Amino acid sequence: MTPALELRSLCKSFGKSFGKPAVDGLDLTVQPGEVYALLGPNGAGKTTTLRMIAGLLPADAGEIRVFGVDARRHPVEAKRLVAWLPDEPQLYDKLDPLEYLEFVAGLWSVAPALARARADELLESLGLSEQRRQRCEGFSKGMRQKVALAGALIHEPCLLMLDEPLTGLDAGSARQVKDILAARVQAGAAIVLTTHILEVAERIATRIGILSRGRLAAEGTFAALRGERAGATLEDVFLDLTRAA
Amino acid sequence: MLVAFARLVALDLTLSWRSLAGPLQDKPSHVRWALGVGLALALHLVAWPVGLYLGARESGFDTVVVRAGVMFVLPWAVASPMSALTRVLAQRGDLDLLLASPVSPRATFTARLLALGLEGVSPAAMLLAPLANVCALQGRPHWLALYPALLAAGLIGASFGAGLALALAFALGPRRARVVSQLMAAAIGGSAALAAQAAAFLPEGVRDRVFSFLQAAPNALALLTLPERAALGEPAALAQWAFAALVAFALAGLMLSGAFARAALLAAGAPAAAGSDRTTRFTADLGAALRRKERRLLWRDPWLLSQMGLQALYTLPIAFILWRNGGVTAQPGVAFAPTLVVIAGQLSASLAWIALCGEEAPDFVATAPATRRQVERAKIAAVALPVALLMAAPLAALAWASLYAATVAGLCAAGAGASGALLMLWRQAPARRGLVLRRHSQSKLVALVEHWLSLCWAGATGMAALGHVAAIAPLGLAALTLWLARPARVSA
Repeated sequence: MTPALELRSLCKSFGKSFGKPAVDGLDLTVQPGEVYALLGPNGAGKTTTLRMIAGLLPADAGEIRVFGVDARRHPVEAKRLVAWLPDEPQLYDKLDPLEYLEFVAGLWSVAPALARARADELLESLGLSEQRRQRCEGFSKGMRQKVALAGALIHEPCLLMLDEPLTGLDAGSARQVKDILAARVQAGAAIVLTTHILEVAERIATRIGILSRGRLAAEGTFAALRGERAGATLEDVFLDLTRAA
Repeated sequence: MLVAFARLVALDLTLSWRSLAGPLQDKPSHVRWALGVGLALALHLVAWPVGLYLGARESGFDTVVVRAGVMFVLPWAVASPMSALTRVLAQRGDLDLLLASPVSPRATFTARLLALGLEGVSPAAMLLAPLANVCALQGRPHWLALYPALLAAGLIGASFGAGLALALAFALGPRRARVVSQLMAAAIGGSAALAAQAAAFLPEGVRDRVFSFLQAAPNALALLTLPERAALGEPAALAQWAFAALVAFALAGLMLSGAFARAALLAAGAPAAAGSDRTTRFTADLGAALRRKERRLLWRDPWLLSQMGLQALYTLPIAFILWRNGGVTAQPGVAFAPTLVVIAGQLSASLAWIALCGEEAPDFVATAPATRRQVERAKIAAVALPVALLMAAPLAALAWASLYAATVAGLCAAGAGASGALLMLWRQAPARRGLVLRRHSQSKLVALVEHWLSLCWAGATGMAALGHVAAIAPLGLAALTLWLARPARVSA
């Protein structure tokens, strides 16, 4: 089976003056149907990695393959398969959610009738039907996050990259989002997410990778990472690994 | 309350100063000081010969200069606080923090009113203060009356502006009031230019009758000329003007602070603006999606449109002057053609800047499966239609006066528009959309090139409209400039 995402010896530095590279020879594989949580302390290189996969940052060296497509050589083809949701959703204040989804569907060339149906479905399932015709300028952070997530899902991406996807959401909305993501994974998509809320990773990730100083310090299921330490939480494991690295 | 008031005024003025000195913020403080002192000295040096010139003219000339200044400063002193206060209510900023604090709403409002008043007249003060100083040094100390007169104008303008902004907020609701007040502020701010043109275009008989009426009503005339006489240093007028300012400020503080707090609550609870009720048209065409998005965002930002419209409006007097003075030829067609071309170039550059540099979700658009060139091409195409639509009516009017001049103007406007858009495409510097009017401060070199290109296209239009083959020279210069301004050649 072709992996959903393959990173080989991925490197990125932000100039010599910053010392060590932000991402330092990162190797990582995510399979279709997996939820992969990329954890790490601030400055570990999580967002930089996601931005390189999304085509927002050029990698200095290494390979990025999305469902077998070389994202460095064929960025447009790779982008067709990918959706990226940043921690601060980028919306247009003067557009309403339906217009935003219309715009995003156009960018990904989704057939109009299909896009319309998906937009209605997403707005409904995210509880945004009533606000579909209200401009985003008055929306709360949680509502903005949901509109951005609807935008990320409208073209049915095969690989979803989510930077802190549940930040700002109330319990009900977080459940809605988790259900939608689970449905995408069941349909064969892969999700790579970063989060500082370790409970989220513990609960929804099938595998967890812990980044430290641009390198993968550990990787595996939560049970594998916990190993012999019965009763240890992911927080304990995380702190042990990142302190040791 | 006084301590809180003083602290808030100091905070507001500090923030205003930082916004004004924005481009210098990253410089060390001694460099900022040196630049500030250098700029002040340069302005005084420039003002010195102007002061000497004014001193050499007969005594009534000062009055003409001050009258012209008052005509421009007073509307601006009202428009600027009006627009700013509506923005404060809509954008909130620190408003929630202040209203949730134990500081009284009156202290908050009066402090902001004072800061807005000072901000409203500060651009005029920066230009006029050096002139007042040098005139005083040259033996005409009455020019120093400009300082208190300007301060009073700021207070009166802020009081009226705040009253208008709050009245609109209650009458129309906070969101609609924002749009209307921004448009009104733009119209008030530009009223001096419009009024000057209206006066110039009145038939001579009507103009004389208006002036005779004013001279026959000394009380009305005295009231109208009060700010002007105050600025000229007439002690009684200055005292009356200052008194009027204090009364206006005190009344505004007493009567409007409650309304301000209520308007703030109203704005906080206002529902988000509804989008269009028209059926959404999904499309699988990336270019169409981008073009539609750009046009929607432009159309829904009347403040941006009004500001750009005003920019164009300020260019019109040149055409009127050309025509009235029989410049180029006495034909309106030939006189207006270059102006239209300049307006097309400026509008196109401004809109292209908004679409390219003012993109609100640049990272998101960059993740779309499209090349950068495809995205930029769609954005430039989105800009072309509004410019063409805005130019259609004046070009049609021009065609009525002279079909040939209209054809030349149309072709050159297309060229000037394309030049402006290309320059913005090649020299992109991301910024907030609202900063479109300050885009020239991003790079002086790009601003210079943009103005130079406008000049070349205007020159070519004027010459071509007169049938001169020499029009090819400015066209060639424009082409050469664009070639030199290609990426990797300009180092802005």
